Amino acid sequence: MKLIAGVDIGNSTTEVCIGSIQDDGSLRFLSSSCSVTTGTKGTLTNVEGIITALKEAVGQIDKRIEDLSLIRINEATPVIGDTAMETITETIITESSMIGHNPNTPAGAGQAVGLTLNIHNLDDYSRTGKIKSNNDYILVVDKEYPYSKIAKIINKYSSNYKIVGLILQADEAVLVENRLDKKIPIVDEVRGVDRIPEGKLAAIEVAYPGETIRMLSNPYGLATLLNLNPDETRAVTPIAKSLIGKRSAVVIKTPYENVKENVLPAGEIYIESLEGKNYKVTIDTGAEKIMEIVSQVDSIKDIHGQECTNVGNMFSRIKKGMAEVSDEDEIIRISDILAVDTLAPVPIAGAISGETGMEKAVGIAAMVRTKMLPMERIARALRERLRIYVQVAGVEAVMASIGALTTPGTRLPLAILDLGGGSTDAALIDSDGQVRSIHKAGAGEMVTMLIQTELGLSSRATADEIKKYPLAKVESLYHMRLENGAMKFFEEPIDPRLFGQVVLLHPEGLVKIDEEDISLEKIVSVRREAKKKVFVTNAIRALTEIAPDHNLRNIPNVVLVGGSALDFEVPEMLMDELSNYKVVCGRGNIRRQEGPRNAVATGLVMSYVGEG
Amino acid sequence: MEIDKKLIEEIVRAVIEEVSLNQEPGNLSSKKEDLGQISVGNFLSGKKPASRGTNPKEVVIGVGPAFNTHIHKTINGLDLSEVLDNIKAGIEEEGMIPRVVKVFKSSDVAFIGIEAAKLSGSGIGIGLQSKGTALIHQRDLYPLSNLELFPQAPLLNLETYRAIGKNAARYAKGEKVTPIEGRNDPMTRPKYQVKAAVMHIKETELVNRKQVTIEW
Repeated sequence: MKLIAGVDIGNSTTEVCIGSIQDDGSLRFLSSSCSVTTGTKGTLTNVEGIITALKEAVGQIDKRIEDLSLIRINEATPVIGDTAMETITETIITESSMIGHNPNTPAGAGQAVGLTLNIHNLDDYSRTGKIKSNNDYILVVDKEYPYSKIAKIINKYSSNYKIVGLILQADEAVLVENRLDKKIPIVDEVRGVDRIPEGKLAAIEVAYPGETIRMLSNPYGLATLLNLNPDETRAVTPIAKSLIGKRSAVVIKTPYENVKENVLPAGEIYIESLEGKNYKVTIDTGAEKIMEIVSQVDSIKDIHGQECTNVGNMFSRIKKGMAEVSDEDEIIRISDILAVDTLAPVPIAGAISGETGMEKAVGIAAMVRTKMLPMERIARALRERLRIYVQVAGVEAVMASIGALTTPGTRLPLAILDLGGGSTDAALIDSDGQVRSIHKAGAGEMVTMLIQTELGLSSRATADEIKKYPLAKVESLYHMRLENGAMKFFEEPIDPRLFGQVVLLHPEGLVKIDEEDISLEKIVSVRREAKKKVFVTNAIRALTEIAPDHNLRNIPNVVLVGGSALDFEVPEMLMDELSNYKVVCGRGNIRRQEGPRNAVATGLVMSYVGEG
Repeated sequence: MEIDKKLIEEIVRAVIEEVSLNQEPGNLSSKKEDLGQISVGNFLSGKKPASRGTNPKEVVIGVGPAFNTHIHKTINGLDLSEVLDNIKAGIEEEGMIPRVVKVFKSSDVAFIGIEAAKLSGSGIGIGLQSKGTALIHQRDLYPLSNLELFPQAPLLNLETYRAIGKNAARYAKGEKVTPIEGRNDPMTRPKYQVKAAVMHIKETELVNRKQVTIEW
């Protein structure tokens, strides 16, 4: 009897599978283990992690490492990936003409139109007769005035003058409203009240509870309230657009067109094919067009961007970053990209109350082929440490396919899908045992980037955790509502710091998301969208390419392997999508017991038998 | 329940009568010893025992025994009425209803806070010591655990108190709260230690375990 070990060094975990070859040549699997990869994949520091994993695996069957007769390690996939994001539009307010934001507690609901009037001038103007009793006024109040005084002033003047709306600098809308005789819409928390021009026609709107504003986010609504002609209506469209989804807003009519949506000179992407043909595509045509062009190119030699443009800088940044990681003097050539349309909250230049606009952006994941990772060096180091024969055996994708075949219910031809961090890898093993594999740019890291930008998160780590774990909202110290609507109760009161918070169901306990004011529903929808945009798109892209005749229907089985197959929702999303093509798709269950893990390690042991 | 309430009311009436028979609330500390009972002075007159609220929009602020009767300013000189007004304004701005009670059972901010929380319709209460230390409490918590604590009273200003009111109201609504910006100064402790001790002793002298919490 002979003991052999298969070792798979992954980006995050090192997996081991131990099998024994009986005297009659048959194979039995004895144990497996999984430990953290030490250092960057493909470097000598990996040895420690391998030994830890081996010890654990042999320990389970009461053996020592010295009892092993052979260790087989994988030949790692020679691709590295990177991501970048660039906004392609920007909104600029050139004069203080609008306010649109979501104060926590505006007051009064509805809309009003009137001339802006500063509260400081109210006494003077009423004495000199500058205020006409037949005009409507919107009062602008800075935070020098406490709520009780504001209410008193308005109650005093409202009998003679028509004060129809109120813009406050302080967060006191409800306080003022509670003290008013006649209710009017009030927008508060407007930081730059001093920049609001006086004597201009302004429209103010506060949404009804649970709704967003309707009139000011509609160009015709603005035209109605401010008496605009067709040309002016066209000019205010960017204002209306940037107010969509707000709970309160003010629009001030000034004689100039003063909110602009600039389309930034985003630049072009140039794709060079191996046959020497050149393709180009402008980035502001959007991700769909870019991906269409990419799919037309048979084999990509390199991709770069137009110099001195956003996309040009983006590609040179990606290439520079990759050159540092790959630590080789070869020329970095991008062999694949995935472009995704997204929206990023960007502070509007010149805004009065710190408004942000959702700007169009394109996220790009790029992938570079590098030379083989120095697995031989690791094998040699391991051999010296353990005095056991160590062999580098087989391409990762091939090994994974062989391992995946141990999943019950599969048959040839079989495709595997490994959704990793930097790249999406697919391999197809056909009925003759031939394996074809492919790597596509864009995977987990891209999802993290999309979540981070769309939610406007300050930390990448938070975005990564949002990607990995389901959410819940703590409603009291004794219960929380899970994102699927179910309720969960606790025996003991939970940490008061989590009260009212949106939390992640981390295996080690609840983790709160340290960002302000993002609702659970919003996070869930952004997370699911990001996963769909990257994983589903890429799965289809990769599988189509390796499928016989490039037709997905020719693949009967798709097995998801690797860490990302453990994701709590991605496998279901892929299953949903692939069932449209009558493909059986699901999480692998390697050797009926390992789940989607250990495919490569298992394949390494099995292929030894195959090699005889 | 009703009998309890009646009993309490009676006791309070009796106490008030007794106290008003005696002279001014000047030499309180000496009174305390010979009475061994309630000796909080005639400021109790006209005040009702605090009842437990049923309105889920209610946030109760519990103040210490010396609040605005024996101590009128916080440790850093803020007027206690203004402090209370700002906390109430913060609660009101969030659409909730503030109610103030005075606690005599303890001068400890945590116990004042939990007493307020237990009387509160929403279950959220704010404890406020006369020297300015504050916390937000929830009735299901242990007294010494709490939702938020603002321990360095000398560094709190009126805006902080407004923010404390707002946060308490948001807890009551089950909303996410915004962390309150706090200042920190390592010299606060040595600088204010004596003053804090004196103020706390003064407040503690007025503690009477048998005196029910009253509406303030």
